[in-house]
Amino acid sequence: MESNIKIFPKSVVCEESTLRGDITFSSGCVVHPSATIIAEAGPIIIGENCIVEEYATITHRLQPGASWDVNKILSIGGHNVFEVGCNVEASRIGDKNVFESKCYVGSGVSVSSGCVIGAGIQICMAQQLPENTIVYGQQALQREAIEKQGSQTLQIDFLRKVLPNYHHLRKPNYDPKKARSVV
Amino acid sequence: MSFMQPSPVKYACSCGILNPINKLFFCRHCPKLRCGFCVSHEIESNFCSNCLENIPSTEARHKKNCCANCFDCPCCHHTLSPRATAVPVVRKSEESKDKDKEGESGADSSPATPSTKPSALPTTKKMYYLSCLSCRWTTRDVGIPDQGVATGTWPDNESLYQARFNTLMEYYQSLVLQEKQEKQEFQRRKAPKHNKYPSLTDRTGLTVSLIRRQIGWSDKNLSKTKPVNITPAEASAEVDDLPADIFTQPINLRSITTISQRHSQPADQPEAVNKLYPQRRSLWIKRSLRCRQCEHNLIKPEYHPTSIKYRIQLFASYHVPEVVMVRCEQPLQPGQANAILLKFTNPTMFDMTISLLETAPQEVLQQACRIKEEAVTSSPLLKATGVTLSRQNSTREIKREVLDVANAKLVPLESPFVLSQRDDSKEFDEDVQAPSEEPKFIVWRKANKVLLRLQFTPDAELKPGQLVTLGFYMQYTYVNTVSNTQDKKDPTTHALHSRIFIESGSIGN
Repeated sequence: MESNIKIFPKSVVCEESTLRGDITFSSGCVVHPSATIIAEAGPIIIGENCIVEEYATITHRLQPGASWDVNKILSIGGHNVFEVGCNVEASRIGDKNVFESKCYVGSGVSVSSGCVIGAGIQICMAQQLPENTIVYGQQALQREAIEKQGSQTLQIDFLRKVLPNYHHLRKPNYDPKKARSVV
Repeated sequence: MSFMQPSPVKYACSCGILNPINKLFFCRHCPKLRCGFCVSHEIESNFCSNCLENIPSTEARHKKNCCANCFDCPCCHHTLSPRATAVPVVRKSEESKDKDKEGESGADSSPATPSTKPSALPTTKKMYYLSCLSCRWTTRDVGIPDQGVATGTWPDNESLYQARFNTLMEYYQSLVLQEKQEKQEFQRRKAPKHNKYPSLTDRTGLTVSLIRRQIGWSDKNLSKTKPVNITPAEASAEVDDLPADIFTQPINLRSITTISQRHSQPADQPEAVNKLYPQRRSLWIKRSLRCRQCEHNLIKPEYHPTSIKYRIQLFASYHVPEVVMVRCEQPLQPGQANAILLKFTNPTMFDMTISLLETAPQEVLQQACRIKEEAVTSSPLLKATGVTLSRQNSTREIKREVLDVANAKLVPLESPFVLSQRDDSKEFDEDVQAPSEEPKFIVWRKANKVLLRLQFTPDAELKPGQLVTLGFYMQYTYVNTVSNTQDKKDPTTHALHSRIFIESGSIGN
């Protein structure tokens, strides 16, 4: 498995993060140091303005017996927040979701949009979370929010300013405009 | 050593309930062990645990024991926190266009609008809504408009039955008043007033009512306040039928409230989540504990809500030697001799002589009783205030037999042993004490701690898996620095005892 990491301009990806496989970061993404993203089964495409915090793990896990498949893409939508220590193996992730600290989302879970997986919640069964679902509390109760969670624009702007001061960054290596011009 | 897990060593309280030492109190005036069950609990102060505001008890009662400013989430019962948002304020020219939006965002937003400012700069105003950090519930979810100030203006959700509750309360209040007045009237008629100083009218046999009658006034009757009539509630056996679509449509559980959500909103107990409203946060209390026998305070917290200290703290672990089970020497087998290592710690500033006994020391018991009696009669508090004796009688101590039984035979220790006083500076001493003549059962001794070896034999008929419980009476000398009588100044020494049960473990297979 070769690492093929595409970073769009304006995204901040720290060098100390662990990235394996074919991963594409759209513009505006922020990846903290010691975050882990592993594309085992197929490429991962992360949408715009996502935040992946420290010790967060996003895995596109290989099913037993399967092998690397370029067409099996895990696409993660925009404006998602992966908080400290979360472990996400979901098969599909939409927009504006929040994975709170130390939560676990197993493979086979399909997260739509505007969902919040509360701190420490473990979702293991294959299921589909409808839009605006909020899973919270010790008993993992579900409720439906009236609107999607607000985007973290202020936080992203702040991180984009602060992270380069203290960390080495991976250089953005892919410019869609240039790529188009080449084609 | 037994932090965050149940302690194997339990002390029998003077009321007969077994407790670990950290749940027991020690009344210095009786002197006896007390537990939370056999002391009277009193409310020291009411406060809100969120904003830490102290609220006097009358005000707390008036506010139905709820905080005026803090709210709980109706969804997950966490505290709601106010969130500020910047709302663009509509300028005069656009006001007519966005009238409906204006009405929604609170009435006080229009006066703040700088109508005289014709600039094109968009003005914003801070608006607040309440949000739960746990389940992300917000007041916007149920359509409560944002407020211009963070606290104080949140609307109370009036329940459907509020008027009914109010009339019922009014009725019963007037009923209580009436009964009280009737009782007073009855007592006045029954027993003529025994005034300390006889008045002139008493001498001459003239009472106020007699005089009133002589003058020709009517008898004043205050007591004839008739309570307003209430309509009694009617029970009906008719229950609305289930809606027809409940059998055909899948139920959306997300729109239905849980039982705990309904119970947290007891006035209307809504069935749908869109009827959940923020609940005012219940007040907490600071509690003081009082010994029921001698009416002395055992625990008295500091008044201020932010303080976690006590003014009076008679926890048992400050006065009674602590017993900690270290280990058994061998695996527990029925009928096989074994030994247990116990660590004794002296928490007081005086040396203690401790002996472990199999039966209760009889004369000590009587002595303790006598001291208690003395304490009751000579308590300065009782004398000074003349505390109602009826209350005393109602809380007379009921002796309860300790039902727990030991199922192991102990080999009694040959002699009592001395536990030295607690000396905090000794902890840092380098020099080792010169080894002195020690009884054989003492394994080691350091400062105020003694590790001793107690031999025992579990009963022969115990089955595998059964708990082996050791039981003994620990007699210890206790130096009481408070004296019940005023003339005594020297600290008195008591020989006290408490019954201790140790769960040493279960019989091995």
